[in-house]
Amino acid sequence: MKGPVHIIGASCISPQDTFDRDGIASVKGYDGHPLHAIAPDLRRYIDPVRGRRMARVSRFGMATALNALERAGVRDPGGIIVGTGLGCMESTERFLDTMIANAEMMVNPTAFIQSTHNAVAGQIALALGSRACNFTYLHKGLSFPSALFDAFVQVRDEGNERVLAGGVDIITDDHFAIQRRSGLLKEEGVGNLGVLEHGGPGAVCGEGAAFFVLDGRPGQGTDVRLVEVDIHYAPDLPDAAAHVRSILQRHMLEPDAIDLVVVGPNGDAMDDPAYGPVMELFPTATVTAFKPLCGEFYTANAFGTWYAWSSLVQGRVHPEVLLRGEAQRPFRRALFYDRFRGCDHSVVIMER
Amino acid sequence: MSGQVHIIGMGVISALGETVSANLDALLAERTGIGPIARLDTRHRGYLPAAEVRSENEALAARALPADPRSWTRTALLALIAAREAIAEAGLAPRGQRTGLISATTVGGMDSAELIYPRFFDDDAPDEVLRFLGTHDPGDHSERVARELGIEGCVTTISTACSSSANAIMLGARLIRAGRLDVAVVGGADALSRFTVNGFNSLMILDDRPCTPFDRDRRGLNLGEAAAYLVIASDAYVEAHGVPTLARVSGYANTNDAFHATASSPEGEGAFLAMQGALRRADLAPTAIDHINVHGTGTLNNDASEGRALVRLFGGSPPPFSSTKAFTGHTLGAAGAVEAVFATLAIRQGVMFANLRFTTPLEEAPTLVPVLHTREEQRIRHVLSSSFGFGGNNTSLVISAP
Repeated sequence: MKGPVHIIGASCISPQDTFDRDGIASVKGYDGHPLHAIAPDLRRYIDPVRGRRMARVSRFGMATALNALERAGVRDPGGIIVGTGLGCMESTERFLDTMIANAEMMVNPTAFIQSTHNAVAGQIALALGSRACNFTYLHKGLSFPSALFDAFVQVRDEGNERVLAGGVDIITDDHFAIQRRSGLLKEEGVGNLGVLEHGGPGAVCGEGAAFFVLDGRPGQGTDVRLVEVDIHYAPDLPDAAAHVRSILQRHMLEPDAIDLVVVGPNGDAMDDPAYGPVMELFPTATVTAFKPLCGEFYTANAFGTWYAWSSLVQGRVHPEVLLRGEAQRPFRRALFYDRFRGCDHSVVIMER
Repeated sequence: MSGQVHIIGMGVISALGETVSANLDALLAERTGIGPIARLDTRHRGYLPAAEVRSENEALAARALPADPRSWTRTALLALIAAREAIAEAGLAPRGQRTGLISATTVGGMDSAELIYPRFFDDDAPDEVLRFLGTHDPGDHSERVARELGIEGCVTTISTACSSSANAIMLGARLIRAGRLDVAVVGGADALSRFTVNGFNSLMILDDRPCTPFDRDRRGLNLGEAAAYLVIASDAYVEAHGVPTLARVSGYANTNDAFHATASSPEGEGAFLAMQGALRRADLAPTAIDHINVHGTGTLNNDASEGRALVRLFGGSPPPFSSTKAFTGHTLGAAGAVEAVFATLAIRQGVMFANLRFTTPLEEAPTLVPVLHTREEQRIRHVLSSSFGFGGNNTSLVISAP
């Protein structure tokens, strides 16, 4: 019962102009960070009165999810799977603030309800009236890959249909400050497009959402099939190239079968060199980065997976993030590899 | 997609005790873990009861023995203790096979985060504050436990409110059946925090007395803290390693109520569909179920909704059921796994645990009378265990004899 898995719809909200599009027309550069996602007109998907009461992460997640379903022509997904590194951090902070300020008296339940990590997936189900299986993953850099992996297994191994999977995170002032404090970010004046050459530790911070609809049958648009999704936690992975090669071997693929490699360097000079051996595994492929476009965050790999899909559909990557090879090429098969903070490894393989 | 999912090890730490056998003793003796708040530093101490694990963090760390114990949150310490007990029973050596760790939590490291928030913004924040930076997010406890146990590969964290660890068990079972894992450590952990106590209190669903699940005069739930893990394995693993099967995860289903952000629909549609789906997956008729560990939080809304769903699925006289939350409190992200351990114990020991403090049936389902006292020498083949959560998230599991 192992069937093909097609991506029949995709949608993305990011610091680039991506919403309701197949690709990025022209890349936006920013003079500093955090990079904020460009909010689309949400009224098409969310009632403005309700929208005002919703947390920003829910508005972004919901709009992206509903847009992906619309693009897939699906009204009744067979599953709703969300990955988010922090869920409703803004509501969590708000609840903590009032709880501490009011010494545990007169706290408002709304922020508590919204802080529940599965609020986004629950709200999508509520909006659709969907009783389908509803999962939420919160696991650092494996949050989105876990959601995509779950959906992939449902369609490929378990015969489910029309499964929605996505990732969403937004940046809050507090979380930005925590990351700064932890040495994970560059100075606020560092822009996105030059970040890989900037040197030194830390990344530029971003936010966004990307959702996909997976099905056993091809959809209306360009047919892109998901070949593999792999999540791999390893605090120390000395040979990432061997790890990636073993995943290719599961599908009897040689490295030269991959003509597009999408990798996750974020400008952290300590971490980025670890992508080298994986890039060298594919000497004939076009290699592109994506984090200069969206910034670094727990579910940046949802954007990266969307970028791999978009590049396959459009047959090009953007010179601003091209690391090696030709930017324009009729790509057939893409491999995505991200190693979040050196221990959360995710691999996605997709083909036209 | 075929084969059985074998439970080969389990571990639990709760207010009832810090090992599986200590929990079993308390359950058999009808000794509740709910009492006045003794450990958590909250304004509600003295007013609200809760089910706390007795040991302080230092004692937990001395038992769990993680590397660098000072940066471990209480949630992570509870998780490590229960996971170690589970893998010891299973005799699991993670390397050499495809081993997964799927853990669940609702608030992760909030127990530490709420103590250091917002002090970590201070320029002169001391080290005992700064070392907890980054331990708040739910994935932190899973990665720490994975590192201590030497598990690499499929490590992830589920957070779906009160059904979280039932979903972790479900995912592990699915991945074993799909042939993607040989063996997995599945479960969840949640430490009691001021955040959750105040959150639930603001919703006005906490009882200021020990809770009375499924009783007409119930007034709400009591919060608890716990961690529980199962080691589950494929047919091939069990055969190759010659380990005994304690029980099996034979059915599972997750559905959404799609009714309200926190409340269950009055007719319990999501609960009904989850229970029905789990029975279907197990290929069992409702009459095959010998015992039910209900979600039974003791809130007005849950018990009425779940009660109606039980009557819909099983008719007016369902199999003997009980809510063990009257013992453990509602342990949130750990609850599904705690109750899966109890379901396994029920099958192994031939016992049904009591639904403490019940006196009067629900108005909504007057025929439903739970198990009032420990019943021993029962023949139990199949236990249905349900966990329902915010966001309309409903999961039921069927645990079956080997």
